[in-house]
Amino acid sequence: MSTTLAAMILAGGKGTRLQALTKKVAKPAVSYGGKYRIIDFPLSNCAHSGINAVSVLTQYESSELNTYVGNGEKWGLNGVRSVTSVLTPKQTEEGSSWYAGTADAIYENLDWLERVNPKYVLILSGDHIYSCTYNAMLKKHIDMGADCTISVYPVPMEEASRFGILVTDKEDNIVQFVEKPKKPVSNLASMGIYIFTYSVLRDYLIKDHALEDSDHDFGKNIIPTMLKNKKKLVAYTYNGYWKDVGTIASLHQANMDLLLSGDPEINIYTVQGKNKILSEDIHGTPQFIGKTAKVKDSLINQGSIILGEVDHSVISGDVVIEEGAKVTNSVVMNGAFIDNDSVVTDAIIGPNTLIEKGEKVNVEKDGIALVVNEKAGKR
Amino acid sequence: MNKIIALLNCHNSPELGELTSNRPLASTSFLGRYAFMDFAMSNFTNSGIQNVNVLVKNHQRSLLKHMGNMMSWVNNTKTGRDTIFYNEKGILNPAYNTDINNIKENDWVLYESNASLLVFEAPEIVASIDLRPFIEEHEKRGEKITIVYKEIDDANKEFIGADVLNIDENGYLKDVHKNKGDAKKAKVSLQIWIINRETLVEMINHGNRVDSSWGIAEYLAVIARNDFLGTKIHCVPYTGYARRFDSLAHYVEYSFELLKRKPYEELFKEDWPIFTRTHDTPPAIYGTESDVSNSFVSNGCVVEGTVKDSIICRSVKVKKGAKVQRSIVLSNCVLEENSAVSDVVIDKYSTVAARHKIQGDKDDVIYIKQGAKV
Repeated sequence: MSTTLAAMILAGGKGTRLQALTKKVAKPAVSYGGKYRIIDFPLSNCAHSGINAVSVLTQYESSELNTYVGNGEKWGLNGVRSVTSVLTPKQTEEGSSWYAGTADAIYENLDWLERVNPKYVLILSGDHIYSCTYNAMLKKHIDMGADCTISVYPVPMEEASRFGILVTDKEDNIVQFVEKPKKPVSNLASMGIYIFTYSVLRDYLIKDHALEDSDHDFGKNIIPTMLKNKKKLVAYTYNGYWKDVGTIASLHQANMDLLLSGDPEINIYTVQGKNKILSEDIHGTPQFIGKTAKVKDSLINQGSIILGEVDHSVISGDVVIEEGAKVTNSVVMNGAFIDNDSVVTDAIIGPNTLIEKGEKVNVEKDGIALVVNEKAGKR
Repeated sequence: MNKIIALLNCHNSPELGELTSNRPLASTSFLGRYAFMDFAMSNFTNSGIQNVNVLVKNHQRSLLKHMGNMMSWVNNTKTGRDTIFYNEKGILNPAYNTDINNIKENDWVLYESNASLLVFEAPEIVASIDLRPFIEEHEKRGEKITIVYKEIDDANKEFIGADVLNIDENGYLKDVHKNKGDAKKAKVSLQIWIINRETLVEMINHGNRVDSSWGIAEYLAVIARNDFLGTKIHCVPYTGYARRFDSLAHYVEYSFELLKRKPYEELFKEDWPIFTRTHDTPPAIYGTESDVSNSFVSNGCVVEGTVKDSIICRSVKVKKGAKVQRSIVLSNCVLEENSAVSDVVIDKYSTVAARHKIQGDKDDVIYIKQGAKV
């Protein structure tokens, strides 16, 4: 079989800065926006781009993520021409090893690519929030005869030193690439989204694998080597909503972005864009807002029962907010139970977490608090 | 439970006024995110039944849309199946468009399967019922036909038009009559029938020679009265929550009843999920001025106004200053700014214009038809 574009989603990272939220699940499986998991975004994007061959490369705490991805049915990626695979590190004749870097993860799965036999390969990150299709990027890659096209996002100049920064000429050809430059000369940040012409990618991965001093990383090794070898690298500028939620505070902010208050240009419907974000639909009951409830400026998923006060918050499915409880500027993840007369302010409450009667969470508003205890089920 | 063929029987559904003028009750919207059939279908699924079929009487377009790829209720997508039974001939001949004739028309299912039992449910009965104990009892006693019923003491108002069972001291059916609301106490059929496959084949063959306008319900009454085919019908009581949706007034009343915690918890049990078709809509979003209480709100809604004592279905927009009270708003409706509705049922895709007010009566709700602009 052959296909034009195959997508490989890197979803093995730990997401250390998300602290207890990623203790038992990989970052791409972290809950977002009341009903989604972060990986729904790249997978929905693939579905809406008409990509049939998608693989998800997992490593860290992968069982929940692997189960969630399954055969891709949640994103319709189980059609008659679909190949959806979860690829984990494996044992081979040469022994067994973990994925050493982003490029190594793809190298270890060249057999999957051989089987799918695509003309182009799309490399994605499993932990970015953005809604788009990749068709325009692929068209640019083909039209410009590129070997590699990198999606870039204009960031504020003062933040540029946190990213991999690209410098381009007038025709969008990449002339320079620097990881986290001390003195950035451009504000075009790499989004970690690449389209490679497959034959070129394969060559470079095989060569890189043989190098002992390589980190086997796209940003550190593959891209700089290609630049040095005068390969044609092109930048594709993305202008929509894009978030890499690395920290508790940025995950909290990305959730608050979905609300109707604040920036009038950004809410759940503008973040979603033209295409629905496809996801799992829990078999929760209809969302019930009780007699004693007060709800405003919030996003609430089905299956939740709201009897207390909710303001400027994102509430996932199967959450119970009891009478007298008050939740403000917070994210409450699925299955959490907020008991009577408790107060939750500026916080992320993890899945199935219990906030006990009268408990006060971050009422002193010291940054964004994180509470994870999995006690709600054992109530 | 491969020995069982399950059938959702849409042949005897009552009409819910204009709400069911263009769709069968089975696929009519209920409580925001469900269609009526979801409850009976989920009873089959949760009871571990793999072979699930739907007896369609008419309006199959709406039903097919809700059923989608028909995989919403099967436990295993290869060994399980949902099949639609449809009697083409019956459409031109409404008097003969009965459940028996429908099964006869699609009788390959009876011969292809090695199932020993058929279990029927009706979409108009909303309840979370574990069918397994009734099936076990049916088999243990060696019965040929079992009916599950509920004893009620408000039959003067509820289950009007349903079958009232007259049961002898051994639990066998003596006679059946329609509930005309003349008595308070009654044992009403929940239209859960457990019938041995051979018995049903006999009924089909025999019934067709006697009167081919009989449905299964009529046939069961004849069997009970005449000890027909040497068969007795065993009746077993069920005591949990069950409602029969038989009119627009009851549709409204029973929907609002579920806003109370007790009936809600009796219908929605933790270990008894209600499966339905998914739509991938975002969670409901509330604006800074929203004021919502005592209501069910579905995903995809954008609520910026006031909602009280109401049921709001998928993807409804309640704009700023708009007010919804004691109303049921079906999917994709828009209530423009500063509009107000109370005691109304608004069918899908309708718009209430800005500043427009519609006031129904608590005992006589106003129905606004699908796609209306008012």
